[in-house]
Amino acid sequence: MTEPIALRVLDRFRGLFSRFGVDYPVMRRILQVKLTMDARRVPTIVGKSKQRSDDQNAEDHNQFAKSLWIYALFGVFCSAFMWLGDNYFFKMSLTFGVLMFIVMTSLISDFSSVLLDIRDRNILATKPVNHRTLTMAKTMHVCIYLIMLTGAIAVVPLITGLIRHGILFFLIFAVELIFMDLLVVALTALVYLTVLKFFDGEKLKDIINYVQIGLTIVMTIGYQLLIRMFNLIDFHVTFQPKWYQLYIIPAWFAAPFESLLHRNGEPILTVFSLFGIAVPLLAFIIYIRLMPSMERHLQKLADPGGRPVRGKGRLLQGLSRIFCSGSQERGFFRLAWSLMGNERDFKLKVYPILGFSIIFPFLFLFTSGFDDGLKGLQGSPKYLFIYFSGAMISTIIMMLQYSNKYKASWIYKTLPISDYEEVHRGALIAAIVRLILPLFLVQSVIFSFIFGSGIILDLVTAGLSLLLYTVICYAFLHRNLPFSQPFDAIQNEGLRVLPLILLLGGFGVLHFVMTFINYGVYAYTMVLILLNFLVWHPNRKIFKRLTRRVEN
Amino acid sequence: MNNVMPIITIRDLRKRYGDRFVLNGIDLDVYPGQIIGYIGPNGAGKSTTVKIMLGLVGDFTGEVRIMGQSPDGEDVEYKRKIGYVPEIAEIYDTLTAREYLTFIGELYGLSTDDAESKAQGLMNRFGMGRVFDHRIASFSKGMRQKVLIISSLLHNPDILFLDEPLSGLDANSVMVVKEVLALLAASGKTIFYSSHMMDVVEKISNRIILLDDGRVVADGSFAELQEKSQEGSLEQIFNQLTGFNEHKQIAEQFVAIVRGEAHD
Repeated sequence: MTEPIALRVLDRFRGLFSRFGVDYPVMRRILQVKLTMDARRVPTIVGKSKQRSDDQNAEDHNQFAKSLWIYALFGVFCSAFMWLGDNYFFKMSLTFGVLMFIVMTSLISDFSSVLLDIRDRNILATKPVNHRTLTMAKTMHVCIYLIMLTGAIAVVPLITGLIRHGILFFLIFAVELIFMDLLVVALTALVYLTVLKFFDGEKLKDIINYVQIGLTIVMTIGYQLLIRMFNLIDFHVTFQPKWYQLYIIPAWFAAPFESLLHRNGEPILTVFSLFGIAVPLLAFIIYIRLMPSMERHLQKLADPGGRPVRGKGRLLQGLSRIFCSGSQERGFFRLAWSLMGNERDFKLKVYPILGFSIIFPFLFLFTSGFDDGLKGLQGSPKYLFIYFSGAMISTIIMMLQYSNKYKASWIYKTLPISDYEEVHRGALIAAIVRLILPLFLVQSVIFSFIFGSGIILDLVTAGLSLLLYTVICYAFLHRNLPFSQPFDAIQNEGLRVLPLILLLGGFGVLHFVMTFINYGVYAYTMVLILLNFLVWHPNRKIFKRLTRRVEN
Repeated sequence: MNNVMPIITIRDLRKRYGDRFVLNGIDLDVYPGQIIGYIGPNGAGKSTTVKIMLGLVGDFTGEVRIMGQSPDGEDVEYKRKIGYVPEIAEIYDTLTAREYLTFIGELYGLSTDDAESKAQGLMNRFGMGRVFDHRIASFSKGMRQKVLIISSLLHNPDILFLDEPLSGLDANSVMVVKEVLALLAASGKTIFYSSHMMDVVEKISNRIILLDDGRVVADGSFAELQEKSQEGSLEQIFNQLTGFNEHKQIAEQFVAIVRGEAHD
């Protein structure tokens, strides 16, 4: 068992934890065990011979820590803000806006499952450990990762700030970051707690998913507001804080820089600064007070649903008949459809991503500016931004490999499946029909309202491109049978997705080029139809090569 | 027995999920030294009762007292006196048996050294001394079950809740565990033994509680139940009390459907 540094840091706050009714030694022990287990998340392929603890020192390093450099890279971009003039309020609002955005979204999509974990209730909740200690252990578990993540993003901006503005700036920055993390964790947890309190069973799980999507979208829009708050074209404009900006949380964290470093005594700034300290503390204290009830309500997640849902079977049968050929393919279509709809961990991971997909095209649409209002958009080629809705396809497709109940995939081996092609096709079609297609349709409708009916052909073209792109993603990313890997095994897949994102851009650019050629889009559409036909035709067995790869 | 205080009292315990009641008013007094065979058909509410007593499930009505304490409150000290082997056992299987058991022992309030040496001793007795430092992920079902049994006993609890504790164990280990249970009960421990293997329940328990549809339908020693129902084995008593006497017909229909000779 390892003794992570994080625990030694926590030891310094021992007294504080005890004051809140937390049994510190027990919490520390739970955290130590959890961190040790995290560090041991090795891919399942590792043979049993390696599972001796003698070589644990060689194995016990955290995969998460290894992936942090990507966040550090974000930080490098953020540090550019440090050079934006001398208006602290302006540039720090921007910096904190970006940081909060990244931290909050990763908390929602990656760590919600930790906050809402009930798998180890039988182990922990049956022991004489009070609710408060259990929840605090969970919260600290998340906080440790969040602080590592924040640290990774902020390291370059911090150093840049130190060089450019001196030690005091650096210190304020560091302290404010901690307050920001506190706020983010407490807010998210409080939202979950509220939901947990008022709903139960299955409905609750769905609502949590919607909350996640909602939060993702709100964060994204809030970030837009932040940028609008300033006139980006003229960096040196003297920015006047206004009271309505109190709603913009990153501004709270930016105010102290102005107050303390520029000795700006403006009351607005003082109030903002106080908010930046008081609200996170208050939120966290409320959270701590409510923690025991959080732990109690969590049990609801394990409760059986009130009433079994029936009647969806017909619809699903019909859908599988429309979209699939062959009875095994239909079967796996239905399996994948139900798993995607029922498995909480899958939804927790994928739904926020769907939220992004919805918002992405509009995000780019609005940031690209539209001086003439909505009317000015008609006739412009900006409808091609709909390609951005495909930005998350690769991630969704990747997720198809994972499941909480990955062990159930033994059925693939024991069933007389003559052709794994059908397994893959079934799952892929289910993902398209259930997740990707509805999203694209909604967006197409909105886009045709904005741009007029003239773009309908282009939307069809884009749809066909995305369909082809989805298949390419699947072929490129899937090394396993659907739902056959534990979520633990996801590692650094972000890098594998990168070339696919570029490819998507390629599709968009190609479409754009075609619009300049007479009948270019028509010809392009015909080509896409043909390609899709070739790829999807059951007799072509395009998944065959992939299938063979998987079987080995 | 009447002058001994019950260690567990349950009065009119009800629990519902949505609009479905799983427990419909359970009354129970349990005394030290009893081995209680806690039986009933699937979905009768056995696990729910146990989970309520352990504080895993809340929002019930009625009164539950374990050593005078309610599992509903903030105070969790009473859990120090309870050992639990759950039916579906999540276990931190990336840990080694040594790490896991020491951790559990510590949660129960043992010192690290005590927990570790006790765990080592018990593992050795189960013939698992050699795998003490192996990860639990590499264990077979029976080995995991042994780890679970050990983890429920490390802290010398006064009450044991066992849900199918013998599943996956080989015949020799089964004999050891049964003997262990008898000795524990003789030393005044209370054991709640929940199982579907009627012959085992019949042999080891000195009191049998039969649950059906969230109610206690029978409570007494095996001899008493035999007398009342005029049946020979616990299995037959079980069938009779749960109103089940058509196993032959059902089996015949079942096979007919398997062979494609009949439909529903």
